[in-house]
Amino acid sequence: MNTALNISPAPHTRDKWTTRFIMGVVALALLPTAVIGVIVNGLHALYIILASVLTAVATEFLFDKVCHKPNTFLDGSAVVTGLMLALTLSPSAPLYIPILGSVFAILVVKCFFGGLGKNFVNPALAARCFLLISFGRTMTLFQVDGVTTATPMSDLMAGRAVNVTEMFLGTANGVIGGSALALLVGGLVLWAMDIIHGEICFSVIGGFTLLIGLFGGQGFDPRFLAANLCGGGVIMGAFFMATDYVTSPVSRLGQLIYGLLIGVLGALFRICGTAADSFSYSIIIGNLFVPLIDTYIIPKPFAYRKGADAREKKSFRIPKPVIAIVLITLIAGAALSGVFALTKDTIEEQKLAANTKSYQEVCPEAVSFEASSSGKEAIDALDGGVYGSGFGRVYINSAVVGKDASGNIVGYVISVTSADGNDGNITLSVGISADGTVNGIAFTELNETPGMGMRCGEPEFMSQFAGKNISSFTLVKSGASADGEVDAISGATVTSTAVVNAVNAGVDFYLKTLKGGN
Amino acid sequence: MKDTFRGGVHPKQNKDPQRVSPLRVYDAKGEMVFPLSQHIGKPAKPVVAKNDEVLVGQLLAEADGFVSATVVSSCSGKVKAIEKRRTISGAMLECVVVENDGEYRKLDGFGERKDYSALTRDEIIGRIKAAGIVGLGGAGFPTHVKLMPKDPGAIKYIIANGAECEPYITCNDRLMREKPEDIVEGLRIILSLFPNAEGVIAIENNKPEAIEAMKKASSGEERIRVLPLKTKYPQGGERSLIKVIAGVDFPITALPADVGCIVDNVGTIYAVQRAVAFREPLFTHALTVCGDAVKEPANLIVRDGTSVSELIDACGGLKEGVSLKKAIAGGPMMGFAMSSLDVPVVKTTNAVTLLCEDGSEKAELEMTACLHCGRCTTVCPQGLLPQLMADAVYIGDLERYEKKLYGLECIACGSCTYICPAKRPLTQTFKQTKAEIMALKRAAGGKK
Repeated sequence: MNTALNISPAPHTRDKWTTRFIMGVVALALLPTAVIGVIVNGLHALYIILASVLTAVATEFLFDKVCHKPNTFLDGSAVVTGLMLALTLSPSAPLYIPILGSVFAILVVKCFFGGLGKNFVNPALAARCFLLISFGRTMTLFQVDGVTTATPMSDLMAGRAVNVTEMFLGTANGVIGGSALALLVGGLVLWAMDIIHGEICFSVIGGFTLLIGLFGGQGFDPRFLAANLCGGGVIMGAFFMATDYVTSPVSRLGQLIYGLLIGVLGALFRICGTAADSFSYSIIIGNLFVPLIDTYIIPKPFAYRKGADAREKKSFRIPKPVIAIVLITLIAGAALSGVFALTKDTIEEQKLAANTKSYQEVCPEAVSFEASSSGKEAIDALDGGVYGSGFGRVYINSAVVGKDASGNIVGYVISVTSADGNDGNITLSVGISADGTVNGIAFTELNETPGMGMRCGEPEFMSQFAGKNISSFTLVKSGASADGEVDAISGATVTSTAVVNAVNAGVDFYLKTLKGGN
Repeated sequence: MKDTFRGGVHPKQNKDPQRVSPLRVYDAKGEMVFPLSQHIGKPAKPVVAKNDEVLVGQLLAEADGFVSATVVSSCSGKVKAIEKRRTISGAMLECVVVENDGEYRKLDGFGERKDYSALTRDEIIGRIKAAGIVGLGGAGFPTHVKLMPKDPGAIKYIIANGAECEPYITCNDRLMREKPEDIVEGLRIILSLFPNAEGVIAIENNKPEAIEAMKKASSGEERIRVLPLKTKYPQGGERSLIKVIAGVDFPITALPADVGCIVDNVGTIYAVQRAVAFREPLFTHALTVCGDAVKEPANLIVRDGTSVSELIDACGGLKEGVSLKKAIAGGPMMGFAMSSLDVPVVKTTNAVTLLCEDGSEKAELEMTACLHCGRCTTVCPQGLLPQLMADAVYIGDLERYEKKLYGLECIACGSCTYICPAKRPLTQTFKQTKAEIMALKRAAGGKK
């Protein structure tokens, strides 16, 4: 029975988890996001994902073959890299984009630096940045049904209103991996399985949220914060990119610092920068700090740490600089919030005054205005979403009822914003008398091109709406004759269309919601 | 109180087949081989010569120096040779070989319980020394040396280690279930040497029967308590136990006694009881024969010097139709692989694990580059950074390994190697590096 026995030092048993298993779980965690991306964006998104993954695996295979290295393409890391890259691309990108990106990620960033575990920046992100620089226009082109359209991220960066629910679910226009919900679920599963370090992902999100809240200009408004978190790859970055093992620090403290650094940089780029993809850069910069962090933050073994000897009285004190920094942050935060709260009221007051003035302009018979209860209900039901269909991106801000001295209803005023203006939002009030005749319109927000779009604010254009009792206005190039036809301002079709759409939305809102009621 | 330490891993227990097997005395038949070095320290000096007749319990070799232990015969018969033989660790060591006559004629003067209450401290330690007792947990440090710290009054805890955190091994489980009163008596004897100490019997909570038995046996003992611990490897490591019980982490350069603790395996404590109450030297101990290659896994009371292959036969032999890949002296986490089964069991052999599948061999096939996933850091019970230590070894920076990363603090528990998804041989690298650094230090010291 004494056949040759295996001799090797202890331990003689191993855990079941392998590199391939971990990579497989990460890929699976990304799968829901990919599936939603394909469902929302169509088959081309699937081709992009397949092209990216297959190219990544093939590149690694060929590199190993050519260099006579043991083949590592089956360890699953190339699949994850390819998948991550694909999810950060536009669903309308031509197929050479994922292919070039994957080759760059695997060949230049990973294999040239020694393969798995040796790259110093995240390969997928580096490839994305490479593509952004090389194919800037193609990379930032987001098309819906063949038409180039603004993404929620570009709206957010331009200060326009966005639909947070769509961004969260991933149905909004944007990259393939746009579903914050699916990413969040996948990321939390990875965290629960101890595959990614909570120190990193939560400090990224924490640092980002804190800074956006403090300096984003809108305080800790949940909708604003949520919009910022759901867009621009923050969730993807925090859970899947920043947590990349190779390019994140070893120690827990190091991981916290690294995560905060990425979060803070990301927020700074978001606040001060103009690019919607800035989060990629903040992670890459974070990656570059890792060797430095790992050099200076090496935790000592338990036996050499303070408090290792329990017999000594434990007198752990928080270092003073830490307390100071925390206090300063708190005070600064409180001050900023205070300033915001104070100015917020003033801003609101001014808005209110402007609104009342515009109400009176378009509903001159009324002496007092009060919010319409049915209107408020309908507006709440919209939850900040686009109103109706066929009006472009219009939002109903408020609806008020105008009353005369004896309390009789004499008219309604609806405040409508259109996000389709040439230079930002257009907000106007539509006044409608009790019998349904449009009294007129008044602008409360109009920042269009002077001499062109701005001419929509001139009485000549505005008066075209007054005194009409119809359900919809039509824009014509010139020579309006029929009832309800409106002459466009020449050279400002976009603005004119936005205004007409906004007015039509207001009238529609009146007819469907306010008419006859209070 | 917390019931566990930081870090650690959860290897598959594999204890069920042998847990149910009661301790059974196995008397060897073939020749018996007694290595002169079954302990840490200087090898013992033989006091018998070829062709001498020896009896059970007779001294074969006496302790040579302070840190050394005697070797006693476990059979009767004629000394066949004193020569170099292959031992369980694989090394060729000087051994006394006795031709076992199978009669087990006993030396007079031991085996009957005698009152020991009048014994002085030195006499008790003398009996333990004469019995040749060493740490049966695996390290084999002479117990009488351990029981003579500089200041006995400073010892706060005597820890009876019944954690048995290695997978497969169950002999201490059975010992605690079957001899709880004897273990408690042994612990009481040790406690009598340390006026300020409390006895703590530490048992992992996967052994509820043993916990119950020890609690029952120690009820009414003011200075003894039973402490159930979380089942986690390496819970039975000296440092893990001290961390839980005394709340102290201490560097590798310090001894448990420096932090007021003495840790003894329950098997050792049982041997102390036999030595002091019965004057019986250490020549038998509990051992588990286990693994998926053996037919009838069992717990045995074996005589030192018995050949491993004979023990396997005593457990029904190897299973048919399977091939034995690896035979381990001890458990799969810290035991060492045997090159041959024709080697004698020594005092510190607490298990023979026979496996059809070699985890190390499989790991070699699955090995990838280090991912830097940090799992090794999470599980290290010492709070080290195995991934960075391996990097330092790889680039040959031993200075960084020792000074910056405290690489010498590694206790070689194997947790990092076990958990590594890239299947890197971490512990193995650290053991080798430690040996290299120590050799370099010795060389540097020699030059001065």
